[in-house]
Amino acid sequence: MTRSHALAAAAFAGALLVPFVVRSDYTLQVLFRLFLFSALGLAWNLVGGYAGQLSLGHSAYFGAGAYGLALSTRLGLPAWPSVGVGILVAMLFALVIGGVSFRLRGPYFALATIACAEILRLSAKNLTGLTGGDVGAAVPALFSGQVVRSFYWSAVLLASLAAAATLAVTRSRFGYYLMAIREDEDTALSVGIDTAKTKLAALLISAALTAVAGSLYASLFLYIVPDQVFGLDISNEVAIVAMLGGVGTIAGPIVGALILETASELFKNVFLEAHLLIYGGLLVFVVLFLPDGIVGTIVRRRTLARRRAKPPRAPDHAAA
Amino acid sequence: MPLLEVDRVSKRFGGLRAVSGASFSIGEKEIVFLVGPNGAGKTTLFNLITGFIHPDEGRIRFAGTDVTLITPNRAARLGIGRTFQIVKPLGSLTVLENVMLGAFLHTASRARAAHDAREVLAYLRMEAVAAATARDLPLAMLKRLEIARALATRPKLILLDEVVSGLSTAEAMALAALLQKLPERGVAAVGGVEHVMRVVVSIANRVVVLDHGAQIAEGEPHDVVRMPAVVEAYLGAKFRERHL
Amino acid sequence: MTAQAAVQAAINGLLTGGLYALVGMGLALIFGVMRIVNFAHGAFMMLGMYITFVAVGATGVSPYLMFPVAGLVMFVFGALVYYGLLSRLPAGADFMQILLTIGLSLICTDAVQLVFGADYHLLNTGLASTNLALGYGLSVNAPWVVSFAIAAAISVGLYLFVLRTMTGRAARAIAQTPAAAPLMGINVHRVQAISFAVGTAAAGVAGALLLPVFYLYPTVGDQFTEKAFVMVVLGGMGSIVGAATAGLVLGVVESLTSLYWGNQWALVVDFVLFVLVLSFKPGGIFGTERA
Repeated sequence: MTRSHALAAAAFAGALLVPFVVRSDYTLQVLFRLFLFSALGLAWNLVGGYAGQLSLGHSAYFGAGAYGLALSTRLGLPAWPSVGVGILVAMLFALVIGGVSFRLRGPYFALATIACAEILRLSAKNLTGLTGGDVGAAVPALFSGQVVRSFYWSAVLLASLAAAATLAVTRSRFGYYLMAIREDEDTALSVGIDTAKTKLAALLISAALTAVAGSLYASLFLYIVPDQVFGLDISNEVAIVAMLGGVGTIAGPIVGALILETASELFKNVFLEAHLLIYGGLLVFVVLFLPDGIVGTIVRRRTLARRRAKPPRAPDHAAA
Repeated sequence: MPLLEVDRVSKRFGGLRAVSGASFSIGEKEIVFLVGPNGAGKTTLFNLITGFIHPDEGRIRFAGTDVTLITPNRAARLGIGRTFQIVKPLGSLTVLENVMLGAFLHTASRARAAHDAREVLAYLRMEAVAAATARDLPLAMLKRLEIARALATRPKLILLDEVVSGLSTAEAMALAALLQKLPERGVAAVGGVEHVMRVVVSIANRVVVLDHGAQIAEGEPHDVVRMPAVVEAYLGAKFRERHL
Repeated sequence: MTAQAAVQAAINGLLTGGLYALVGMGLALIFGVMRIVNFAHGAFMMLGMYITFVAVGATGVSPYLMFPVAGLVMFVFGALVYYGLLSRLPAGADFMQILLTIGLSLICTDAVQLVFGADYHLLNTGLASTNLALGYGLSVNAPWVVSFAIAAAISVGLYLFVLRTMTGRAARAIAQTPAAAPLMGINVHRVQAISFAVGTAAAGVAGALLLPVFYLYPTVGDQFTEKAFVMVVLGGMGSIVGAATAGLVLGVVESLTSLYWGNQWALVVDFVLFVLVLSFKPGGIFGTERA
C-alpha cells in the first residue's frame, strides 16, 4: 500500500507541476478537460460503479453546478459562494431524482435518470426568464490572472479530492454497503442495510462533486446554454469514462478519462467530422472486447494469473 | 412469551392464496421446521416474517414487537436473519467480505467485522474458502455462505429457506450437525424444507406442516411424520416406504 | 382558444400518434418483449428515413410505395446487428446493451452526417398542401392521413405477427420464462434475432412514413428513442397494443400541450408522464392485455 501511496503522491505533485513545463494554453485546456472528466468519472463511479446504479442522467448535477454559479451571481452573490449554491441545488436534485428512480431496478433506473435530466434540460431551455434559455447565461470568472493555469489546478484538485473520497469510501463500511447493493439488493436488505438511504448518500456525494465540475466547466467558458451543460452528451460521457476505464475501481475513471479525452482530441483534429463515428466505434469495441473496462481487465488477468500460480485449497476439505 | 408469533397470517398474489391463516410460534433457542411441498407457502411465509412482503391479514410479532409491516432491513436489525432459497451471494466479493457484511450490522470497523466474520466462518468450517470469490464456490458452500452471512448479523432467530436442498445426503447431514448447535449460540431457527426428512427428524424440536399456505399439522417430528393424515393425504403414500 | 382549435389539435395529434405508435411498437417488441435495451431505436428510424429519401431520389417513386424497401433493408440490418453485436453479450447485461446501442446510435448518426451532411431536407410529395375538409371547420393534411393509414395497417400486421406466428409466440414464451424456453425446443437466438429485426424494420418503416411529413436531418431520431421508451413504459412492459395506444395518446397530449403551453413543453410533458408512470404505476397505464 505504501508504494501505491508514494506513486499517488508523485502523480499528484507531477500533475501540479505540469503548468510550469507546458506553456500552451490550448494544451492546458485539454489537460483541464482530462482531469475534469477524471473527477466526473470518479464521482459517477460511486453510484454507477460501487453501488451498481447505472445513472445516465448525471448532467442534472453538472448543469445544476453550472447554472447555480451563473444564476446566483446574478442575484449578487460572489462567485465562489455561488459554487456552493450550485452544490446545494445539485444535492436537492439528487434527493428528488434519487427518490424517484432508486425504487426502480435495471434499465428502468437508467431510463428514469435520463428522463429527469431531460426534464431539467428542457425546462432550462424553456424558462427563458430564469436561465436565458437557448440564448444562454453569462458565468462569472472564478479566477483572475493565470486563468487557464488556475482552472487546470482546480481540476487536478477536484480529481484528487474525488479519488481521495473514493478511497475513503472503499475502506469504510459505507463502501461495503454500496458493493453489497450492487451485487444483490435483497441480500443487502437481509443483513440490515437501509439500501434506499445508502444509495441516496452515495448519490449526494456524487452529485456534489459533479456540481463543482459543472461550475468549473461553466466558468472556463464564461457562457453556457442548456444543451451544453444539461445535455445527454455529458451524462453519457461521464458514464463512458468510468466504464471504459473500469467501474468499481479508483484508477478506472482516471485511465478512462485519459484515453477518451486523448482519443477525442486526436479524432477531432485528425478525423474532423468523423470523430463521433470513431467514438461510437470505440464504445462498441470496449463493450465487446473489454467488458470489464481497461483497468478491470488488467486486474482480472492478474488475479487469474496469481490463482494459476497458487491454486486455492479445494473447498471440499472444509465440508463435513 | 414466544420469540416469534405468526398469528392467522394470509397473503394472496392475484387470485392465488399463497398463505392462508398460518399460525405458529417459535420459542427462544428452538429449532422448528416448516414442511410442505413446493408451493406450500414456506418461502412466502419467510418473506412475510422478514418484511420483504407484507400480509393481507393477520399479525406477526417478534420479541414482543409487532413486525407485521416492518421493512426487511429493520427486521434484520431486530434480530431476524434469513437465507435465500435461491442463493444470493455477493458474487464478486470474497467469502470473508460476504460474511463481513453481516457483521457490519454491529460495528463500523472493518477489522472488527473481519474478526467477527472469521469466527462465524470457523463455526461453519469455512475458513479454507475465506479468500475465495463467492461466485466461484460450489453449491454446498454457497448454501453455507448464506447461513454464515445471516449468523454474522447475530440474529435471535434465523430463517433457513431450503438450506439443505440440492446437497448430497452426506453434505446435508454435515450441515445439520452444525445447525443443531445453533441454540448453543442463542439462536432460534425456523427451517423450511421440501424433502430431506432425515435432516428434519434429526435436529428439529418441532415440525409445522403446511399445505397451500394453511397449517395442517404440528408436533414433534417423529409424531408428525407418522400422522396418517399427513402421510397419506399430503406427503404421499409412498413417502413412508421410502423415507422411514 | 376555441374548442374547435382543441379538436383540430387533437386530430393532428392522433395522426402524429399513429406514426409514434409504429415506432413504439417496434421498441415494445425489442425491449418490452425481448428485454433488449436498445438506445439506437431512433437512429434506426432515422436510417429508414434516409433509405427512403435515397430510394425516392433514385427512382422517383412515391415514398408511400417505397416503405417496404426501408422495412426490408432495416430488417436485414437489425438481424446483422443482433448476430454481429448483441448476441455476443452475456444474457441480461443491461449495462453492456445500453453502452453498445449508444455507441451504435452514434455510429449511425455520424455516418449519415458524413454522407449527407447535417442539412435539413424535406421531401415534397405534392400532397403537402392538400387538406381534406372534415366539416365544422376542421381539416386534415393529406400526407399525414396517408402515412397514418399505412402505419395503422402495419401496426395491425405487427400485432398479428406477435399474436399468431410461431416466432411471435416463441418470443412471448421467452419473455415470460427465459430459462424454460430452450427446454421447450425454442431456438432463443433465432427468435431474438427475428424479433429484433422485425422491431428494427418497424422503426425503418415508421421512418419512411414520416419522411413526407417531417424534416430530415441526421439527429432526427434522437428524440424518437426517448419517446419510444416512454411509450413502452406507458403501455406496460411486453404489451404491443399498450405501446401503440400510448403512441396515440402521446401524439394527442403533445399536440394539446403545444396548443396551450407551446411546442417547447411537449417533450417535457412526455418525460413527466414517464416519470409519474414509472413511480406510481410501473405496470403501465394502457397495458391491459399481454400481447
